[in-house]
Amino acid sequence: MKTCQEFAELLELYAMGALDGEEKAELEQHLSGGCQVCSEGLKRAGASMLFLATMPEQMEVPSRLRARILASAGAPRPNRGWMAAWAVATAALAITAIWLAGRNLDDDRALEAARAEIRRTAADLANAQLALRFLDEPETKQVVFGRGQPQPPRGSVLLNATRGVLLIATHLPPTPSGKIYELWVIPKGGAPRASGLFQSNAQGDAVYLREGAVDIAGTGAIAVTVEPESGSNAPTTTPIVVAPVSGL
Amino acid sequence: MPAAAVSTNFGIIVLCPANFRVEADGLRYAMSLTGKTNWQSRVSYKDDAELAERLKRREPQAMADLYDRYGRTTYSLIFRIVRNTAVAEDLVQETFLRIWNRARAFDSERGALGAWMLTVARNRALDYVRSVDGRMAQSAAELHEMESPSAFADIEQDVLNIDRVRLLRDAFTKLNPKQREVIEMAYYEGLSQSEMAKRMQQPLGTVKAWARSALKVLRDQLGQVAT
Repeated sequence: MKTCQEFAELLELYAMGALDGEEKAELEQHLSGGCQVCSEGLKRAGASMLFLATMPEQMEVPSRLRARILASAGAPRPNRGWMAAWAVATAALAITAIWLAGRNLDDDRALEAARAEIRRTAADLANAQLALRFLDEPETKQVVFGRGQPQPPRGSVLLNATRGVLLIATHLPPTPSGKIYELWVIPKGGAPRASGLFQSNAQGDAVYLREGAVDIAGTGAIAVTVEPESGSNAPTTTPIVVAPVSGL
Repeated sequence: MPAAAVSTNFGIIVLCPANFRVEADGLRYAMSLTGKTNWQSRVSYKDDAELAERLKRREPQAMADLYDRYGRTTYSLIFRIVRNTAVAEDLVQETFLRIWNRARAFDSERGALGAWMLTVARNRALDYVRSVDGRMAQSAAELHEMESPSAFADIEQDVLNIDRVRLLRDAFTKLNPKQREVIEMAYYEGLSQSEMAKRMQQPLGTVKAWARSALKVLRDQLGQVAT
């Protein structure tokens, strides 16, 4: 059996996943034996190789990616054309709220709470704006789901042949740790197509836009399932949302 | 649709344009080394600790700040591994959602957010490449373990400190081509030493020798940092 000093020379390779065969098995056995020195060494070894993560040539990131990620995390996106008015309105709201907070509450925590409330309010407004803008398109079709059902979630799916699919849902059940919502576009007579991952906000509300052309006539339904956070190629759980699209 | 826009935080932007503090200790992150100079050079691990706290509270603006801080580096790393812009975009999204979903388990006082972010990014990209190639050098369970939030507690929080990274990058560029190649194949392709030997058509012992000598050079550089 190797000594800790000998194992130390293997830790970076193990951290990178490059160690294999007998050496890997030996090190894993040693680590599972509870060697604190090598466990700590492994953490350091992994961290020391992180400089490699900064070496690739820095790419220009597609500008749509930021909005897509924020939307998928439950944060909505505004319309640029509204930006100035939005900024003025929200700033006014912020000033008022902070002034009120300053009158009644003196500490930083109160101010932070006021700011958080402003963010939530702004998020709600931006969500509504996104939906209105989508609805404003003459070609947009709407499907309502969950209405009359004893259990939520409820909401709407808006489909636009050129712009994509916009899901607006409320009362989504909280996802367990390591799980996420996945949107599915289900063609008539075809297998569900994975159409993006998203999360709800703390209240169980979500607005998620899947951009890109969609064949409305050829779509049978839009569905949402709870999947592992890396997403699935096909649904692995019973849908929590099913919005039939046929007949639009 | 607008290509990019801040979603919910105009009030904050209007009121607090300087979201990031310039720390007195002068710590700067390595992202400024990698391309165009940007404001990320002003970010310190103290900013990351504060950001991690906000992520734990699930503040939408925290996600925007996380993206602004690490989006470009994450995208560049993932693209380096998968070499496909559409796939890279999907994997960047997956990476950020994974951080968002697991932030509650992250120890913002003792953890290194940047290290966690980039590790998750690399793992997502390698997991994709391996699934496409039908390779399973590391199991999903191993990857899961390596990117667990707890794995980033008590490592040096300034692991991406600009001086440290510069030193390692300089040392890396001075390695001989074979040494560099094996480290790059390990880090960016996730190849095991046996897979490298096969790819390079070299004896396994030779590949191991290249890898070990390369790592010794880098380790010696880190030793210089420590002293």
